[in-house]
Amino acid sequence: MSSPLLAAVSWTVPTVDYHGLAPEIVVALGLCVVMLVDLFLAERSKWLLASLSGFTLLGAFIPVLTLALDDGGARAMFDGRYVIDDFSLILKGLFLLAGYVVVLLSTTYIEEGEYYQGEYWVLMLSSILGMMMMTSSRDLISVFVALEFLSIPAYMLAAWRKRDAKSNEAGVKYFLLGVFASAVMLYGMSLLYGVTNSTLLSDIGASISGELTAVRIIAIVFVIVGFAFKVSAVPFHTWAPDTYEGAPTPVTAFLSVASKAAGFVALVTVLYVAVPEGSDVWQPLVWVLAVLTMTVGNVLALRQTNIVRMLAYSSISQGGFILMPLAVAAEGGAGGAALRSVVTYLIVYAATNLGMFAVILTVSRKTRSGEISSFGGLFGYAPALGVVMTFFLGSLAGIPPLGGWIGKFSAFQAVLEAGTGWAYAIAVIGAVNSVVAFGYYGNVMREIWMRPVPDANTMPIRTPAQLVLALAITTISTLALGVLPGVALHFGDLAIFAGAFAG
Amino acid sequence: MDQLRDANWVLSVGTFLPLAGVLVMLFIPKAEEQLNKAVALLTALATLAVGVYTMTQFDYDQAGKMQFVAETNWISVIKSTYHIGVDGISLPLYFLSMVITVLVMIYSWNHIPSPGNPKAFLMLMLVLQTGMAGTFIAQDLILFFVFFEIVLLPMYFMIGVWGGENRQYASLKFFLFTMFGSALMLVAFLALFFKTGAESFAIPYLVENGGAIAKNTQVWIFAGMFIGFAVKVPMFPFHTWLPDAHTQAPTQGSVILAAILLKLGTYGFMRIAIPTLPGAAVEWAPWIGLLAVIGIIYGALGCLAQSDMKRLIAFSSVAHMGFVMLGISTLTSFGMNAAVFGMVAHGLITGMLFFIAGSVKERYHTLEISRLSGMLQQVPKLGWILGFCAMASLGLPGLAGFWGEFPAILSAYNPADGLSEEAFRVYMVIAALGTVFAAAYLLWLYQRTAFGEPNPEFTGQGDGHGHHHGDGHDEVHDVNTLEWIAWTPLLVAIVLFGVLPNLMFKIIDPAVTTIVSGFGG
Amino acid sequence: MSPFLRSYLTVVWFGLAAFLLGGLLLWLASLLRPVKPNPEKVLAYESGVNPVGEGWSQSQIRYYVFALLFVVFDVEAVFLFPWATQLERYGSFGLIEMGVFVAVLLLGLVYAWRKGVLRWV
Repeated sequence: MSSPLLAAVSWTVPTVDYHGLAPEIVVALGLCVVMLVDLFLAERSKWLLASLSGFTLLGAFIPVLTLALDDGGARAMFDGRYVIDDFSLILKGLFLLAGYVVVLLSTTYIEEGEYYQGEYWVLMLSSILGMMMMTSSRDLISVFVALEFLSIPAYMLAAWRKRDAKSNEAGVKYFLLGVFASAVMLYGMSLLYGVTNSTLLSDIGASISGELTAVRIIAIVFVIVGFAFKVSAVPFHTWAPDTYEGAPTPVTAFLSVASKAAGFVALVTVLYVAVPEGSDVWQPLVWVLAVLTMTVGNVLALRQTNIVRMLAYSSISQGGFILMPLAVAAEGGAGGAALRSVVTYLIVYAATNLGMFAVILTVSRKTRSGEISSFGGLFGYAPALGVVMTFFLGSLAGIPPLGGWIGKFSAFQAVLEAGTGWAYAIAVIGAVNSVVAFGYYGNVMREIWMRPVPDANTMPIRTPAQLVLALAITTISTLALGVLPGVALHFGDLAIFAGAFAG
Repeated sequence: MDQLRDANWVLSVGTFLPLAGVLVMLFIPKAEEQLNKAVALLTALATLAVGVYTMTQFDYDQAGKMQFVAETNWISVIKSTYHIGVDGISLPLYFLSMVITVLVMIYSWNHIPSPGNPKAFLMLMLVLQTGMAGTFIAQDLILFFVFFEIVLLPMYFMIGVWGGENRQYASLKFFLFTMFGSALMLVAFLALFFKTGAESFAIPYLVENGGAIAKNTQVWIFAGMFIGFAVKVPMFPFHTWLPDAHTQAPTQGSVILAAILLKLGTYGFMRIAIPTLPGAAVEWAPWIGLLAVIGIIYGALGCLAQSDMKRLIAFSSVAHMGFVMLGISTLTSFGMNAAVFGMVAHGLITGMLFFIAGSVKERYHTLEISRLSGMLQQVPKLGWILGFCAMASLGLPGLAGFWGEFPAILSAYNPADGLSEEAFRVYMVIAALGTVFAAAYLLWLYQRTAFGEPNPEFTGQGDGHGHHHGDGHDEVHDVNTLEWIAWTPLLVAIVLFGVLPNLMFKIIDPAVTTIVSGFGG
Repeated sequence: MSPFLRSYLTVVWFGLAAFLLGGLLLWLASLLRPVKPNPEKVLAYESGVNPVGEGWSQSQIRYYVFALLFVVFDVEAVFLFPWATQLERYGSFGLIEMGVFVAVLLLGLVYAWRKGVLRWV
């Protein structure tokens, strides 16, 4: 009956750790429920969907907490292909909270829009589910599936305003370059599998050591290039500004924070677990990418007049700072510090950037404009919004005691811990870039504080409750992370992945 | 010493009390201007009271040691602690920052610059106060860095919102320059941290272990710190932000900038760069000295070329900070004493000069030196105070300015071991020449503005412009009560420290002796 | 050149080879094929039909949706057959897993039904 192929594979029932998978299961069930409820819900009660999505994400946070408080150590499933450790739990928590804030940002925007509502929430939840899977994936196949799972809904979200040409452009560009990147990455992955005969990252890590043959180099380079698209590193960033500008603003917030973070999670996992021994190949590559990304992003951001476009370039440039410590992660025992820096940076960046988008959404409800000049005189007629926006801008610029500084600080710290000539060089380049960045962040501050109100329209801004909540969450986290940076650093202070940079 | 360790709450309260005022003011509506001003002033006074208490409890016999030390965990992951304390160098500056803030608050009572909004203005000032005080007491590099940066944003907005015509350009320039410096400074701090074994960011620890770093590495790390601090001082090639910032800043901003913010740079050299990297300090000292004397001469020449009174005072700051840096660069206790004294004296005198400039601007709506004249006739009290401060600024013996300038020049005669005597003696001669220039530009300024007949433009009986001032509010009047309250403490201090310099030298000396003990000075 | 930089050479070689191969094939083809264009020949064609009207002509969207639905259930069948042959080995675990899989697909069918895709108007 059974074919020879099947007979060769011995099969046992896999043990599934349902507690470990609980966050993913909650989100998966939640998204099915949202989808079903949407189908049978009258148009006027569609607001329920936003609440359902929000509760799903908060509900999934509970098992994340119970898992975090559980002292049992890391849980591994499917022969170590799916791992729930501190790294994955912290990032799952980050994705859930960031997702919750995005839900808050989207609620009024979606309700007041003229397009389908249910699909929006379903796509959002699927993408978040993909991100959560990404944090636990330790196998080429699950990494790839998670990556596609988080990307494909994001392509559709970007094109959500389907009668708006810009939104279409955003979706198509994102999709085309995204699948291109996936193809390149998949090619690299297949080569990796080819040379190591395993898709398990830790097996690959054990096989790739010593002499680096040509095919191994190509495999590593291709995988990194694929991720470089996802995290919009220069020169693979070209989709980002158009997509960010054209996509609905809450989706842009989602892409620039969560989607980017997921790309970094995948990159870190692959670099640390699968190819730590290939650091001679990827370190210089990441070094060049990081320098280009922070510099080009900065320079182009200086010239933008549209706030979302400016934030797109700013987000590219911030990505360069996140990459920076990875460029020297294998040197002088800096691996732990680099991992800490990436996680810390992602946490503070999420808090700050989401807050920034919350302000932009609130202000644009009144001004109906995306121009930076529409923020003119904001401090005069809406002082609270003005001050909060100043906090976020200052945080992105890395000014203590606002959250962003600790991200930049830990990045510099990791780089200097490596202490090689390349490390000092990138540290100085990063330092100069962090100053240049103030050119555009300061420009927005200038609009808010020092410029006249456009059209002298000082009508106060009405802030919906959801946006108030989002602003409160992000402001408090931005300030708290900056004043008590130990918190973020503590979360980032993870045990380095087993086997990474052992020798 | 032990009972002082028990009083370790004093510094934290003194530093963070202004933030409590900010919190209270958050809940006061913007329209309640008087209430806002009152709360801000009360906060500043309460802070000053804590400062006075600190002064009374300070053990002057042990001014060379850190006192009121507090040390708690802050960011344990990166081995940075909340570690604060004051010694004889910090104390005068720490206290000065509190005094200046109170005086500026008093001055602000009826001098809120356009476009108004005292609530925001005073809140920024209180945040600024926390940053300044914190920088002087921080004993941990990361804590120092955080406080050092906290002052940036409030000052940026103070210049950019409440400043003169060219305020936006000036504020951005100020910000970018300082941020550039502090970014490199941070890199240098981290390099220092790792080169001393990645054990601690505490300054005392780094002072103990920094000397063991290879000389060559020290020189590079010092370079990063040098740029950070030199921009803030500002030293000669990095000074270009200062005249713009000073000219455009509102009076209060100029006073704080001149009196306190510039000192953050010189203080950083004395507290961090030189003691932690003694080897590099010896290498760098001649160059610092050179840039200092260039600054002295350049600042003085710049002053002679100015047609705007405020800009002139700003350039004089470059020259005066040159004297301070010259004193520091000798690496001798004599020079360092002069430097700290010079910092305080410059704070008092130049702060006062900016107050006067603000009042002149308010009365005459211009600071063009060529349009001002006859102040002694029209506003005799203001004119005399200007004369008094000009004398103090040019270093007249018997006033505070003298004790900053003269010993700094003298100290260059005999620099620390290992430094070239020839070079420093040349610097000495040039710096002495600088005092002559200082006398020239200050006396010339005084002659042009205070002597002669009042410009008919401003006497209300002149050339048809009179109707601008016809409504009675703008009538040129002499020093008013509020100004007297704000200024008297500064004027008294200028005389007091001029006559009894030992009041301060006694506190400073033990502390700087500790710092230079490694240089055989 | 350091051995480490040399290792990067392979990437360069690989890229060069890719471009050369593509160019070579195009060039070879151009050597072999006769070039005699006429208006009929340069006309784009699809299934031998001359294009009429604009490129952006409307086509029946239902074909597309049905095709999609077909693919979904086609793939389901591809999974179901081999699964069914081995069901005894998989036991109840396999049954539940496939139940979940089919339920998710069913959700898609419900979605299509509620959105009115199944009606051919």
